[in-house]
Parts: sequence; structure tokens; C-alpha cells
Amino acid sequence: MGNCKCDNPYLPYPATIKEVIDETVDVKSFQMVFDDPEVMESFKQQPGQVAQISIFGVGEATISITSSPTRKGILEFSVKKVGQLTAALHDLGPGSRVGVRGPYGNHFPYEIMKGRDLLFVGGGIGLAPLRSLIDFVLAGENRKEFGKVEIIYGARSVDDLCFKYDILDNWPKYDNTDVYVTIDRADMAWQGHVGFVPSYLEEVKPSPLNKYAITCGPPIMIKFVLQALNKMGFQDGQIITTLEMKMKCGIGKCGRCNIGSKFVCLDGPVFTLSQLKELPPEF
Amino acid sequence: MEKLFISRDSLKKLLDRLARNLNLVAPVKDPEGIIMFGPVADAGQVLLEYQNSTLPPKSFFFPQTERLFKFSYGQEGMALEDMCGSDKRVLFGVHPCDLKSILSLDPVFAGAYKDPYYINKRENSAIIGLACSNPSPGCFCATFGFGPDDGEGSDIMLTPSGKGFDADVLTDKGQEIVASYKDLFEKAGDSPRIAGETRLTVKKLDLTGIKELLDGNFELEYWNQVFEKCLGCGICTYVCPTCHCFDIYDSSKGGCDGERYRSWDSCMFTHFTMMAGGHNPRPSKKERVRNRFMHKLKYHIDRYGLAGCVGCGRCVKSCPVNIDIRRIISDLGEVSRNGQL
Ligand SMILES: Cc1cc2nc3c(=O)[nH]c(=O)nc-3n(C[C@H](O)[C@H](O)[C@H](O)COP(=O)(O)OP(=O)(O)OC[C@H]3O[C@@H](n4cnc5c(N)ncnc54)[C@H](O)[C@@H]3O)c2cc1C
Ligand code: SF4
Ligand code: SF4
Ligand code: FES
Repeated sequence: MGNCKCDNPYLPYPATIKEVIDETVDVKSFQMVFDDPEVMESFKQQPGQVAQISIFGVGEATISITSSPTRKGILEFSVKKVGQLTAALHDLGPGSRVGVRGPYGNHFPYEIMKGRDLLFVGGGIGLAPLRSLIDFVLAGENRKEFGKVEIIYGARSVDDLCFKYDILDNWPKYDNTDVYVTIDRADMAWQGHVGFVPSYLEEVKPSPLNKYAITCGPPIMIKFVLQALNKMGFQDGQIITTLEMKMKCGIGKCGRCNIGSKFVCLDGPVFTLSQLKELPPEF
Repeated sequence: MEKLFISRDSLKKLLDRLARNLNLVAPVKDPEGIIMFGPVADAGQVLLEYQNSTLPPKSFFFPQTERLFKFSYGQEGMALEDMCGSDKRVLFGVHPCDLKSILSLDPVFAGAYKDPYYINKRENSAIIGLACSNPSPGCFCATFGFGPDDGEGSDIMLTPSGKGFDADVLTDKGQEIVASYKDLFEKAGDSPRIAGETRLTVKKLDLTGIKELLDGNFELEYWNQVFEKCLGCGICTYVCPTCHCFDIYDSSKGGCDGERYRSWDSCMFTHFTMMAGGHNPRPSKKERVRNRFMHKLKYHIDRYGLAGCVGCGRCVKSCPVNIDIRRIISDLGEVSRNGQL
């Protein structure tokens, strides 16, 4: 059996970690660059897409590309340490070799969001996929194409807030952009809002007019955020979320990520609430 | 399509020559009496009449464990060696249900992302089909609109007739084989084909209303009556010719070198969908059993327009607690007609 020179979607492209940012106790962001500049050039992701990250000898994991496609020459992933691959990745530093294949999945439908206001609701590491779209919308000329941007973000504690530099410094500086941050439990070191994301959302009470709401977070948060949005008058077609299912291949072969007849890796991970309601409640 | 005939003697010769010139894979009986598809060196071993093999020939396109690539870290960075190549092969003696199952798998491995491991093996293989002269009592292929003499999916289809086999040459690949061994084939005679009668002996279940029932009802009280006795052993998916789920994992003896593999996996296992933090979208046997039958009777049809079950009866034979897809089909039919059992 020889080897052959065909396009093989299972082969990751070798990449090198350039920088590691400690986000929280168990979340780190990794900036990576493909070893082959041509691959870097031709890797064209859209906001909301994912990639498979390999550590050879350990395995692969599906991770959202958290950097916006407007940021050239680098891919960024924010990874929570939960098991084998993610723990091994947390042990790596700048200069370490990894593999990346992708981009996979559908993306946030920013085409239909143009001219509209946007509401982002995130919890914990769930901000990672939203961040690719937030930075895309805020970047340069793109900013003019979208209306007001509101970001509501929460985590268990101050220490669990990811991307503090964005939520506290970078994003609030943009025109017509409001950022609301909350933590679950009161903390001496925290002057801001205390409370769960869904109830903070109801307090902030953004108007549903001419707006898309995009949400991602722990399953329980998503559940209550969806209910709150509906209650506030958002229609199912205005609400967009990204789903997590266990994945292996990322390309519709291994059969692992199905919800009914859909494969999250091909048909998702981004769904509108109206699409979700068409699916069997198995996620 | 060319209609030819090959005598039993000539078929032996053909198999001998194929075994010598190409890799021949055919149904054989192992010392324990288990029927399996395997490489054969001696045409004498090949079964010309058999009831379905314990495992389908799927593994010759989608092996139970397959090496995807090798990796090594060196001075120059990372080197990957792709292992998707395949040798030429002739698969002999494939029954109609197994032929159909391969057609059901094809679109899974094709599509926007082509799976080179499967596709290369598929392209490098010729398939000689064989009609069943003695279908087993568990077979119910007729349910899915074909029968024990249906050649679709084969390159040459053999059907017992008179003192040999009628050979329908169905594709260019089939034509190539015939051209290379011209001396062994003759013009088809007019002896009747036996499979005309066996067709009638195969069970045909009524699928009317079932797809519609499942389309409209994810929750059905009926599933509560099915799942309890399931042991979650996964053998039903292991023997199924249309199941395609797999796991991907690395093997490395430490250091810099290693390999990435894939292996069959099963939606009947708890860990299959278990996620970080312990969230599992299919937490109990109920959801898993339902998923398997929904895949066979609905999901595969929705995605690919092809049945996810071909009526081979293997899962029926293997299930230690007699969960029987034929029973489930007839029960679901009943539910669709009467709203209940
Ligand atoms: C579309 C999508 C986007 C994702 N984006 C991110 C992201 O941006 N950042 C991030 O940190 N994580 C993300 N995940 C989750 C991430 O894929 C898993 O946490 C990771 O695969 C776990 O790998 P592991 O080897 O460390 O864990 P393992 O050692 O394999 O397992 C540890 C635990 O994690 C579970 N697990 C394994 N694989 C997955 C999986 N694919 N999804 C969920 N749980 C899994 C296991 O069942 C087990 O409970 C995403 C998942 C999906 C499907
Ligand atoms: S579900 Fe059972 S009968 Fe149907 S193809 Fe699979 S093993 Fe054969
Ligand atoms: S073979 Fe039977 S017991 Fe085993 S997982 Fe399948 S249905 Fe359950
Ligand atoms: S991850 Fe393999 S089918 Fe979706």
C-alpha cells in the first residue's frame, strides 16, 4: 500500500504556536501560524467557523476560530482545559508545533445582518466564537455596515472572565458600541454588575427592533437566554446561536455530531432559533 | 449491458487467475465455520453458495481499524506521511444487500469533503456480485425494493443458471475483467435463472407510513417499549453494512513518531456523544436506540435519499436480546395506522 498525493481532508497542516495568553485559570488563548506561508494565505475562514487542532501523538479537538478573518496572518483559538488534548495544549508554549485543519462548518450569517443592530450575549468561554464576529463587525470599514452593537457578557467570577482586554478596554472604545459585563457572585474586587447573564439581559432590556441577537455559552445559559429573548419580543428568526456537539472528523463522515438528520459539523454549528426548533431536542 | 454465461469449471479458473493476478477477496469459511470475506489464494476455498457472512464486506473499503497517516517531528519540522493509497482488488461473491449497502455508504464518503481512504479503495476495486440461491430466514431485502438477484452496485453480476452462472456485465470495470479472461465466458443461454423463485421466499415488510410517522414524531411512546432490554453492546452496529461511525485517535510510543488511526465506533455507546462537563445529548439507552433506528429508517434517507437499512438481517442474528429491526418496522407500521400498538 503506497501513499498517494491526493487532497486529503484528514491531514492537518503543520503550524506553530506564536503566543499564549492566559485568560483564566483554565482558559488560554493560542495564536498560531501555519508553517507554510501559502497555507496561511489560502486558509480563509468566516466568523463562527471551527478548526480541528492536532497535537500529534495526543489527538485532535474541535475549537472555534476566535480571531476575526480581518486579522491576517494569524489564527487564534481560546481553549478551556477539560481533557486530554486541551490539557496537553495548555502545556505548550510559543514555538511548539501543532497541526490545524479546517475551516469547517457554516458561519454567522453576517450578510443578512448588514444594516441591522447586533446584540451579543455570551457566557464564559462561549464568548470565543462570538468574538470572531464581534471583531469582524468592528473592524475598519466593516463597522459602517452594521448598526449599534451591544455586548452582554458574564462569567462565574472576575477570574473567570475571558478576553478582559476586549470587554473592558478595546470594545467599549468603538462608536455606538455598549458592553455590559456581569459576574455570578459578588466579589470585593468587582465594582460592576452581579447576577446571571439571562437576568442581566432582561435588566438591560435591549429592544428587538431591527436587531439580530447572537448567543453562545453553557447549555443552561443558552436555554434561559433564548427564553428571555423570546419574552422580550425577539422572533425566532432574529436569534442566532452556535451549538456544541461532540465531533471527531469535522467533515460529515464519522457520524458523531448528528442532531436528527443534520450534522453539526456541516450544517452547523450556527443555527437560528427557528432552525433549532425544527430539530429534535437532542443537544 | 452484455449478458454472458460462465460454467462452474470456468468460474473456478477465473477465480484461480484472479487470485494469482490481482488481490482476490471472497467469502470463505474459517475453521470455526464462520463465513467471512477474506483474501483467498486458492479458488477452491471460495463459497459459491452461502448465507450472509457474519461481517459484511464493508471492511474492504472502510476497515475496522485504518491508519490515516504517520507523523514525525524532525529537524525540518513536522513530516506527515499520507496512507490513503490502495491496491487493486477484486471483491467476489457479494450479495445484493451488501451491494446496496455499499451504494448507501458511497455518498457518506463522497460529498464536499472527499474521503480518499474509502474512495481510493472503491475506485481500485471491482465487484463481482452473486445472487443468493438460498436466502437465510432472517433476510428481508425485499422490504427495500430489491431482491436476491438484484445486481445494482456490482460490476459483474452472477446468477446461478443451468450448469453455471449467467454473468451480466454492468460496468466498464466489469467489461475489463471479461476482456482479460475472454476464454472463460460464453454467450448466455436460455436456462432459467433460479433467483426468480428465491425472490418470492424473501420477507417483504410493509414500510407504508413509517417514514411519515418518524418525520412527524420524534417522541413516540413506542420507543419506551423497545430500549429497556438493550445491553448497549454495540454488536448491531458492528455487523451492519451501512453503519459508518468512527473514532479518530493517535498512537505514539512517546518521542517524535507516531500514527493517526480511525476505528469503527458505535452510537450505542454512552461515550459516543458525551461532552466536556458531562453533558450528553443522548444520555440513556432510549435516545441511543431511537437514534439507531431513526438513522436506518429516516436520517439516512433524509440526507442521502437512500435507505439506511438493506435488510441483511445481521443485526437481528447478532443481538443478544433479540431486538429485531423487522419487528420494529412492523410495529411502527402498526403505530402509523392505529396511532398505537
Ligand atoms: C463547534 C464546536 C466549537 C468548540 N469551540 C471550542 C472553543 O472555542 N474552545 C474550547 O475550549 N472548546 C471548544 N469546543 C469543545 C472542545 O471541542 C472540547 O472541549 C475538546 O474536544 C475536548 O477535548 P479533550 O481531548 O481535551 O477532551 P477529552 O479528553 O476527549 O474529553 C474530556 C471531556 O470532554 C468531552 N469532549 C470530548 N470531545 C468533545 C467535543 N468535541 N465537544 C465537547 N466535549 C467534548 C469528553 O466527552 C469528556 O467529557 C468546541 C466544540 C465544538 C463542537
Ligand atoms: S440495520 Fe440490521 S438488517 Fe439493516 S442493514 Fe444494518 S445489520 Fe442489516
Ligand atoms: S445488539 Fe442488541 S443489545 Fe446490543 S446494542 Fe444493539 S440493540 Fe442493544
Ligand atoms: S464530526 Fe464527524 S460527522 Fe460531524
